[in-house]
Amino acid sequence: MKLTIERSVLLKSLGHVQSVVERRNTIPILSNVKLDATPDGLKLNATDMDLEIVETAEAQVQDAGATTAPAHTLHDIVRKLPDGSQIELTYNAEDSQLALRSGRSRFSLSCLPVEDFPAMVGGEFSHNFAVSAGDLRALIDRTRFAISTEETRFYLNGIYLHATKSDGVDVLRAVATDGHRLARFEVPLPEGAGGMPGVIVPRKTVGELRKLIDETGMDVSISLSETKVRFGFDEATLTSKLIDGTFPDYERVIPTENDKVMEVDRKLIADAVDRVSAISTEKSRAIKIALEKGVVTLSASSPEAGSAVEEVEASFDAGPLEIGFNSRYLMDILGQIEGEAARFDMADAASPTVIREVSDGAAIYVLMPMRV
Amino acid sequence: MSLRLLPPTLINQIAAGEVVERPASAVKELVENAIDAGAARVDVTLSEGGRALIAVQDDGRGMTPDDLALAVERHATSKLPSEDLFDIGFLGFRGEALPSIGSVARMTLTSRTAEADSAWRIQVEGGVKSAPEPAAGQRGTRVEVRDLFYATPARLKFLKTPRTETQHAADVINRLGMAHPEVAFTLTDGTRSVVKLGATQGDLFRRRLDRLSAVIGRDFFDNALPVDAAREGLRLTGHIGLPTFNRGNAQQQYLFVNGRPVKDRLLTGAVRGAYADFLASDRHAILALYLEVPPRDVDVNVHPAKAEVRFRDQQLVRGLIVSALRHALAEAGHRASTTVSLGALGAARPEGQPQRPALPLGRSGGQSAWSWTPPPRPSQDEVDAAYAAQAPQSGYGGLYEQPTRLPNLSAPPQARSVESHADGRPAPPSFAEAMAAVDLDSPPPAASEHPLGVARAQLHATYIVAQTADGIVIVDQHAAHERLVYERMKQAMDAGGVARQMLLLPEVVELEEAAADRVIARAEELGQLGLVLEGFGPGTILVREVPALLGDCDVKGLIEDLADELADLGEALALKDRLADVCGTMACHGSVRSGRLLNAEEMNALLRQMEATPHSGQCNHGRPTYVELKLKDIERLFGRR
Repeated sequence: MKLTIERSVLLKSLGHVQSVVERRNTIPILSNVKLDATPDGLKLNATDMDLEIVETAEAQVQDAGATTAPAHTLHDIVRKLPDGSQIELTYNAEDSQLALRSGRSRFSLSCLPVEDFPAMVGGEFSHNFAVSAGDLRALIDRTRFAISTEETRFYLNGIYLHATKSDGVDVLRAVATDGHRLARFEVPLPEGAGGMPGVIVPRKTVGELRKLIDETGMDVSISLSETKVRFGFDEATLTSKLIDGTFPDYERVIPTENDKVMEVDRKLIADAVDRVSAISTEKSRAIKIALEKGVVTLSASSPEAGSAVEEVEASFDAGPLEIGFNSRYLMDILGQIEGEAARFDMADAASPTVIREVSDGAAIYVLMPMRV
Repeated sequence: MSLRLLPPTLINQIAAGEVVERPASAVKELVENAIDAGAARVDVTLSEGGRALIAVQDDGRGMTPDDLALAVERHATSKLPSEDLFDIGFLGFRGEALPSIGSVARMTLTSRTAEADSAWRIQVEGGVKSAPEPAAGQRGTRVEVRDLFYATPARLKFLKTPRTETQHAADVINRLGMAHPEVAFTLTDGTRSVVKLGATQGDLFRRRLDRLSAVIGRDFFDNALPVDAAREGLRLTGHIGLPTFNRGNAQQQYLFVNGRPVKDRLLTGAVRGAYADFLASDRHAILALYLEVPPRDVDVNVHPAKAEVRFRDQQLVRGLIVSALRHALAEAGHRASTTVSLGALGAARPEGQPQRPALPLGRSGGQSAWSWTPPPRPSQDEVDAAYAAQAPQSGYGGLYEQPTRLPNLSAPPQARSVESHADGRPAPPSFAEAMAAVDLDSPPPAASEHPLGVARAQLHATYIVAQTADGIVIVDQHAAHERLVYERMKQAMDAGGVARQMLLLPEVVELEEAAADRVIARAEELGQLGLVLEGFGPGTILVREVPALLGDCDVKGLIEDLADELADLGEALALKDRLADVCGTMACHGSVRSGRLLNAEEMNALLRQMEATPHSGQCNHGRPTYVELKLKDIERLFGRR
């Protein structure tokens, strides 16, 4: 194998690939990236056995061939080479070394046999459709923050993606929850996605996917089976196992009859929450919201630091209500609302509150109060 | 096959299977008899680990020939005068021990009462007894058991090495010795003295402390807190070790109920509960507790060897132990273990010699093969350490070796302070004078006003050195401040309650039915700690709210841990542990780190806060936050004493 490639091209591809590779591995070959020189260019492939990325980078290939080299080391080297330099990669099968030359730098990397590199079997995909990059980005961004990090409830460790009907319209919906709050966002159902199985996309895949979306403006093709999902970009393909579990029946916990409605300027209340929570030194950062006609009063107190109160103008017509929230959860949600005004649908201090944009029902957030 | 009554010898051998499982159990029965006979001195001799010979000699009231004959009969006892099994005032009462031992060994009893002018002897061999005959003997009773288990060879095969069996016997005698400090005990194995517990003097607490120190180790003497509490007819006394005086297993936790050594998991749970804030979960306190319970409230007749008892009101006993221990620990305030400073002294020896561990608790007290008799005076150990430390290139000198790395000190006062030691006038005033330069502007307040003294210097940006009225204190600034922050957070939590995050998706946890019931029974207590749960059909628990502090936590694991602990210890510690863990981590992040330079005011403020904060003597894991070296210890280091 012998090829020449431009530094910036290789760096970009390696950047995608190396973040799939775990820093510490018990299986040595998983620390490596597979380099496959083909007439189309250099194909890079990395996997952690659950998630696989394949990316093709433009290169001048003199001799075809393949090997595997340590991903993080290679990335480090390429990153530190001067911008605009050309890199020559040569694999010497006799001593299993990958020679890297660029300018006056010379590196020699130990390789592992390419035959040992695990191939992820794609299998048959039952559904194929395309989603615009913008829609996919929103599906991820609006829900990602609510993914649970608690490993024992593995079925909450991802975004639940499924096709359903919302007010009679077919939608592709993303849901994530950690049992304390829930985020739900939907976009019109893309063509070909009808009847797709509900799938839970793991957190790590979501993260890698999000990075790739930022670099493309094109539609992203999605292929699904019961156990795997594949996201196709121009040059990269991300294939991931799905979380094998049942996502809870989330519809049941989204209240529909909450009749105490408050509408408030999103930025005003977000800033107020941020300020008031500064006083709460506790890890839980509890904040109290007292509602009266036309005004909402945020307060927090800590035996050590003192107390804080801030009033925010709001439209509220129901009787007085006092309700406590984890201010970080509240900030997370308010940070996702794009419009000017946020709407809180509440029942009482012990029932879930629904938070959404006033004008737009595509995204809704459910937050469980805190007892303070 | 027709039914028939078993012959008495066989009955006794069956009973022996329960009562006498190894030589140590025979020793236990015989020594208990001696104690019940009012002995002031009990001497035990073992040979081949008790296999060849167990001899127990006491100076108790002795027996008449008629008693002797009756004593070896089954269910013959003098210890149930009222014939009421629920009014037991003696260690024994079943009347099984002597005939049981007699049925599996060759036993000789020689006894003489105070009034009699000669002793009498009776022999039992494999369950067959001889007639009493006159013999030579002093006042009291001597029981000799030879060839134990010769009549039951199967049992013989299960005996361990003589050394192990001797250790078990020593353990038994040590335990009985702790329960009866007024009695002197010895155990010899023919060649060497294994246990030697001298009779003790003074009031009960003093006698017990002396005896406990003899068994557990001399360090216990300096690190014990007395406990004395009573509630509803129960009285709990004893001594408990300071949290900084801990060890890796719970073997040195002794409970005596009405003078009877017992093993009860209730004790382990209650002790863990009481020490929860002071010890890491893998460290254990050392203590001996004496519980006096009205005989009617405790059933000692649940175990043939009486190693277990049953309380009528377990909760009352547990509550008493936990509250008494907490009270005692709170009173101890910020006292840190003296072994810590002794350990430090021990460590100050010339390089190249093995260092003593910081907490030299290595004495296996339960099986202690050596003994120590009060009154307290510097032990050889200590003196050795002190002498070893005199060598000029010693580690102590190392404290001063790099003046440039002591940012709070300018070099001259350093040098002067060292010189003042060297020229033989190390009196506190000159030391103070030399170090006064450290105190920036304000004149130093008198050291005597403050138990932790006045900060003199910060070393390696990590340790604060303070001068007290009669010594110096070295404070680990991070550990100390961490504890202060932790105590503050706990106070805040107690005052404000635990904030609870309600669950959008209530968590369903499935357990065994009994385990689930145990957890649900504690629902109220758990609710106060922020965990709100309820039953949800048999064996299922529905968790509705969790402590907000724990964030996105493993609820299922938590409930399972709680259920296990309730089964094992009867205490729901897991939740408190986790809350404490979070507080501990936050305290760690929120406190002054090592490596941060502190000025004199900051250091003094820290010392004053430590004095004002309860439990500031140890960090959350039982490590000390400060070490105090008394002047006399320092003088000893320099060979002045």
